Amino acid sequence: MADLKFFGHLADIAGTRTKEVLLEKPTALRGVLPSPFPETNIIILINDKAGTFDSTIKNEDTVVLMPILSGG
Amino acid sequence: MKGYGKLLRVNLSSGKVSKEGISDTMKGDFLGGRGFAIKLLWDEVRHVDPLSEKNKILFATGPLTGQLLPSSGKMVIASKSPLTGGYGDGNIGTMASLHLRKAGYDVMVVEGKSQNPSYLLIENESVQILDGSDLWGKNTFEAQDLLEKKYGKNSGILLIGPAGENGIRFSVVMSQKGRAGGRPGLGAVMGSKNLKAVVVKGTGSIPAADEAKLKELGRKGYDEIKRKESYEFWMRQGTMQAFDWCNENGCLPTYNFREGAFEFSKEMDGFVLEKLHTDRKGCPMCNMQCGHVIKDSSDQRAELDYENVGMLGPNIGLRSLPEVALLNRMADEWGLDTISLGSCIGFLMECSEKGLIPEKIGWGDVESVQKLIVDVGKGEGLGKLVSHGVRAAAETLGNESHRWAMHVKGLEISAYNCHACPGMALSFGTSPIGASHKDAWIIAWEISTDRLSYDKEKVQKLIEFQRIRGGFFESATVCRFPWVEVNLGLDAYPEYLEAITGSRMSWEDLYKIGDRIYHLIRAYWKRENPQFGRGWDYPPDRWFEEPQTSGKVKGVKVDREKYDRMLSWYYELRGWDRNGIPLKETLEDHGLEEVIREIG
Repeated sequence: MADLKFFGHLADIAGTRTKEVLLEKPTALRGVLPSPFPETNIIILINDKAGTFDSTIKNEDTVVLMPILSGG
Repeated sequence: MKGYGKLLRVNLSSGKVSKEGISDTMKGDFLGGRGFAIKLLWDEVRHVDPLSEKNKILFATGPLTGQLLPSSGKMVIASKSPLTGGYGDGNIGTMASLHLRKAGYDVMVVEGKSQNPSYLLIENESVQILDGSDLWGKNTFEAQDLLEKKYGKNSGILLIGPAGENGIRFSVVMSQKGRAGGRPGLGAVMGSKNLKAVVVKGTGSIPAADEAKLKELGRKGYDEIKRKESYEFWMRQGTMQAFDWCNENGCLPTYNFREGAFEFSKEMDGFVLEKLHTDRKGCPMCNMQCGHVIKDSSDQRAELDYENVGMLGPNIGLRSLPEVALLNRMADEWGLDTISLGSCIGFLMECSEKGLIPEKIGWGDVESVQKLIVDVGKGEGLGKLVSHGVRAAAETLGNESHRWAMHVKGLEISAYNCHACPGMALSFGTSPIGASHKDAWIIAWEISTDRLSYDKEKVQKLIEFQRIRGGFFESATVCRFPWVEVNLGLDAYPEYLEAITGSRMSWEDLYKIGDRIYHLIRAYWKRENPQFGRGWDYPPDRWFEEPQTSGKVKGVKVDREKYDRMLSWYYELRGWDRNGIPLKETLEDHGLEEVIREIG
């Protein structure tokens, strides 16, 4: 299973704050996200490293998707 | 240049009131807000005790202020800071911004000192210094009620609480029971002048070169904000969405910035706030108001946002939003800055834990904290120790406590722990008022790339943020939230400016203005503090020496040598010498030749 975590309004779009996905083979992140999904002003972390929508994810990966914020 | 008003000058010692024109050179070189403030302070306030009659306090709007444009209800309040000894300012969203402009003024300079407690009443051309004895000693909510009763709810009111009257050096200027500005002790500056409040009632119109165009642009901007996909979520959580964001990234200030993740975060995050939410508050001219009202633990209305929750929550080990709201309301009533207050309380809790003070005040001990806030506001008891901020408290206590007194240049660090964010640490280090996040919140960009890198690109990005946020937004003077929080495009702002002033300015032009403002602020620090230099641009030792012990960035700390290299790049890119002082040619390039002879 790959763990997906959604923050801010991205959780609304995904309909959940966390999601587990069973992957039959390594897959581009884009392929496991709802469509359409915002493509700009987003932070993508895959196992704590910066990634992209085209990054390949596999079972056991932790993926965090969060918006760029401005600070209080 | 069109779209501007006059400068109002009030001398509280002599009672003299004058109205002055603002030159086109001033407008073109400094834009407004912070730009006007530093230019006036540079010219008029030199080598003075910040709490003396000779200091001045400025209330400065910008060309965008009060116009029918997104989030344009801001003004900048500035002075020589009694907390830091350098340039101090803070923006505040308030009806007073609109009224000041409608009365015909862009800037108000208040100088001198009233013999007795007083307040200012500005009604268009009429400016009066009135007896404020009945207001003195009242908290900011009580005084707001009294002034609203007298002058109506549709008045612009700026005021201080007892903390400002008592000279507490992180007291702020308040408005509308929840809006605050002037973190570096500008409430104390008002208090030192026996000035309790400013009431403004303006009935004119704010000038613009092309009113039809401006109206069209404003409507488009407001509509665009409401259509953004993040808007609905923003309205539910506001800045509190940063709470679990920071916790996830190990950036949440926890136990006096020892840690970056709070074990009880789920009990007080933005989703908990949603359930407690009863109302929303915010600034005028804004359709994405950020203040969330809940019932506090004493069943009274209180407002929350990320900064006060971060600093009065995890940073002092408190895990209940209603209790945080109670502390926040107390701080607002006393007129204390919630960021510095949270830092001072966290500092004292750590002192207590380490046996540096005899008083027992444990993490999360909300009863003791309530008593402490009263003591801080009065400057008595344990509160007296921190009444000049954590820098001064650490100097008093010694015992290496300066290593975890969380400030830069004397201003307490706001709610972002930077053990694993060296770019954000540099942002705090180089912010022009001390450790404020507002000039360059690079932390999100940093985490989206390679957060632990120390490369030159990061430094370049930091300067770009400072130009936009600390240069443009603080001088225009409008809130930055529409830009970053819901992605309103930056291209709109030069269009707004053109419709108001009749002059087209590119972002390159605006960057140049921002740079000029930063150079002059830097020169001001140097002139007022001859010992000022490189050593003032470092965050506290805790971030370099004591890694976090839990969470996803466990074991990480800032590398001092690499930070130092980034700081050198920062100076080089800014055109400053290795001690952080603007070079002669940099000052000349920005039309600041007169500065050279004063800073050597």
